[in-house]
Amino acid sequence: MLSFLYARQSGLDDPVRLRRAESTRRVLSLKLNHNRDVDRIHGNGINTLDIEVIDGRYMLSGGSDGVIVIYDLENNSKKPQYTCKAICTVGRSSRHVHKFSVETVQWYPHDTGMFVSSSFDKTMKVWDTETLKPAEEFQFDGNVYCHHMSPVARRHSLVAVGTKDPKVQLCDLKSGSRIHILQGHRGEILSVRWSPRYDHILATASTDSRVRIWDVRRASGSLFTLDQHNGDKSKVSSEAVNTAHNGRVNGLCFTADGLHLLSTGTDDRMRLWNSGTGENTLVNYGKVVNESRKGLKFTVSRGCSPEFVFVPCGSSVAVYGLHSGELITMLRGHYNNVDCCEFHPDYQELYSGGKDCNILAWVPVLRQPGIEDDETNSKRGGTQAAINPAFEDAWSSDED
Amino acid sequence: MSRKRALIADTFCLTKRRRCAADSVTDGAADIRSSLQYLMTMFSRKLFNDSLPPVVLKHQLYSLHNDKTSVDKQVNELRENGELLMFQLGFDSEAFALVFAEDYRTKVLQGEAGRETLGTVEKFLAKLIPGCSDLSFNKEKMLKEFLFTDPEITQLVKSGVLTVRDAGSWWLSIPNSGKFIKYFIKGRKAVLGVVKKSKYGEILKTELEGRRTTSQVKFQMKYHIHDIMGAELVECIQTTSGTLLRYVDGNVN
Repeated sequence: MLSFLYARQSGLDDPVRLRRAESTRRVLSLKLNHNRDVDRIHGNGINTLDIEVIDGRYMLSGGSDGVIVIYDLENNSKKPQYTCKAICTVGRSSRHVHKFSVETVQWYPHDTGMFVSSSFDKTMKVWDTETLKPAEEFQFDGNVYCHHMSPVARRHSLVAVGTKDPKVQLCDLKSGSRIHILQGHRGEILSVRWSPRYDHILATASTDSRVRIWDVRRASGSLFTLDQHNGDKSKVSSEAVNTAHNGRVNGLCFTADGLHLLSTGTDDRMRLWNSGTGENTLVNYGKVVNESRKGLKFTVSRGCSPEFVFVPCGSSVAVYGLHSGELITMLRGHYNNVDCCEFHPDYQELYSGGKDCNILAWVPVLRQPGIEDDETNSKRGGTQAAINPAFEDAWSSDED
Repeated sequence: MSRKRALIADTFCLTKRRRCAADSVTDGAADIRSSLQYLMTMFSRKLFNDSLPPVVLKHQLYSLHNDKTSVDKQVNELRENGELLMFQLGFDSEAFALVFAEDYRTKVLQGEAGRETLGTVEKFLAKLIPGCSDLSFNKEKMLKEFLFTDPEITQLVKSGVLTVRDAGSWWLSIPNSGKFIKYFIKGRKAVLGVVKKSKYGEILKTELEGRRTTSQVKFQMKYHIHDIMGAELVECIQTTSGTLLRYVDGNVN
C-alpha cells in the first residue's frame, strides 16, 4: 500500500489507481463485525434491500410480512460500536401496508422523497417517504416478483414490472399509465433490470430459461435472447437451444459500467454476458447453489479493480472474482437462507438479509491502530503524552 | 510505462501465491494434456475388453486445476487443434466426455474391422478428426457438408458412432459406451453413498481412497473421487490432515 501512496504522491500513478487498490483491499478483508449492527424490526424473513444512491445513507428493506423499514446507516456517534437505527417503518398497523410479502423495494433514483415497493399481493405502491402513504398504486393480475426503475434515466420515468404474466409491463410514474407491454417471454418474469449505461436498455429473466434484452423505444420484440452456447446448437438437446440457463433464470445484475450482465439460474450456474452483443463470456464460476423459487437478489462491487460478485448461496454469501470466476471467500454468519445482499460503494460494506430476519453488515477489517492512539489519549486526560503500553515503565520504582 | 500494466489484483495475491506455490499447478496447455493423461491411466481398460478408448470427464479436470475458466479455454484449444474430442453423455447436460482423437480412431476402427460399415465409418472419421469440433450433427450438415447419403447415415448409427438425438439430428458418440455410462453412474452413486454414510457425512480423501470398493464400483476409486470433486457433488475442505470431502445435501443422486 505504501508503494501506491508514494506513486500517487510522485505522480507515477493516476489518483484513481490508489482509490481502486484501497477499495479492493477493503473488499478482500470483509468480515462480520461485532461493532456494526442493524436494528431487528422484521418478524419474518427479509426479501430485499436497497441503499439510496445519492448519499448512501438510508437503506430500505422489505420483508415477508409485508413490512417496509427505513434505516439510517450513518454512524453519528463517536463510538465504533454502532447500531443502524430504523427511522421509520410501514408496519402491520399501517392502513396502507402490503397484505403479503414485499418482494422488491427501490428508492427513487434521484432523491429519497419517494420509493416504490412491489409485493405478492399483486400491487405495486409508490410511497411518499415523508408521510409514508402511497401516492400511487398499480394493480396487477398476478404476483409481482420484481420491479426496477432505471438509475440513469432522465427522459423517462418508467418502472419495469415482472409478474406471473409472461408480459413485462412498463408503468409510467409521470402519467400513471401502464399501456406499454413487452411481449416475448413464455414464463413468469422473475427478474428485471435496467442497464446503468443506457436508459432504454432493459434485461428480463424468466422461468422459461431465457433472458431477453429489450430496447423500450422499439415497437417490435426483444433485441436478442442470451444464448449460453453462443449459437453453437450442437452442444445441447434440441429443447434447450437458445436458453440462457438449463433451469429457471432467477437473478440478473448489471456491472456498474453496464458492459456486462450476470445471470443466475436454478441449474446452479452463474453466467457473465457481454451486454452489448449478448455473448456468453464463458467464465466458469463452478456450482453456485441456487434453490430459490422466486427471484434472487445479488450484487456486484463498484470501484474495485478486479470486481467482485456477491451471491447469496444457501445460508452464506459467496464472493467471486467477476472475470476470473474464482471463489474468493464465503461469508458465513446467517442462521438461515440469505435472500438478498446490497453493496455500499462508498464504504465498501456489504449488507445481507435473509430468512433469519437479520440484516448483517460485513465491514472491512481495518488495520490495527498504531502507537499514536487518539482514544487512549482522551481517556487518560492530563499532561501525559500517549505511550504504547509496551514501552511503559512498569518496573522501576519512584525512588530512583 | 510498465507500471500502468500491472494489475492491482496482483499486489493482493502475492502473499497467497507464495504460500500456495507448492501445491498450485502452473497452467499451460501442456499441463492440461498431462492431467488428461494422468486421468486416463485411471480408466480401467480391461473392464470393457479393450473395446473402449480411455474416457475422461471434463469436470474431473476441475478437481486438478484451480481456474475453471482457463481449463475450459485450454480444452477448447485442444479440440480446435483436433487432438481432443468431446462428447455429450446422455445422463447430465453438463457432463462432457473427453477422448484423445487418436485413441478414438484406433478403437473405432478396431471395433469395425471385418464389418461392412467399415468404409463409411472411415470416411466419417476422416471428416471429423482434423476439422470438426461439433458435438451433434443435423441432417443438412450430414447431407450437404459431409456428403453422406441416408443409408450411410443409418450405417453410422448402427456402428455406434452416431446416436439419435432428435428427428433429423444426431449426437456424436463413442461406440459401446452404454456399459461405461451404466458402470459410471452406479459407481458414482456408490462412492457418494460411502461419503454420506460416514460419520458426520464427511471423510478424508486419503481414507476414501483406501476403502475397499463394493462390487458396484467398477472403476478405480481415484477416478470417481476426481469426478465427484470436479462436479462439486461433495464439498472439498482443506484441513491440516489433508482434503476432507463433505457430502452436500440437495444432490439429485
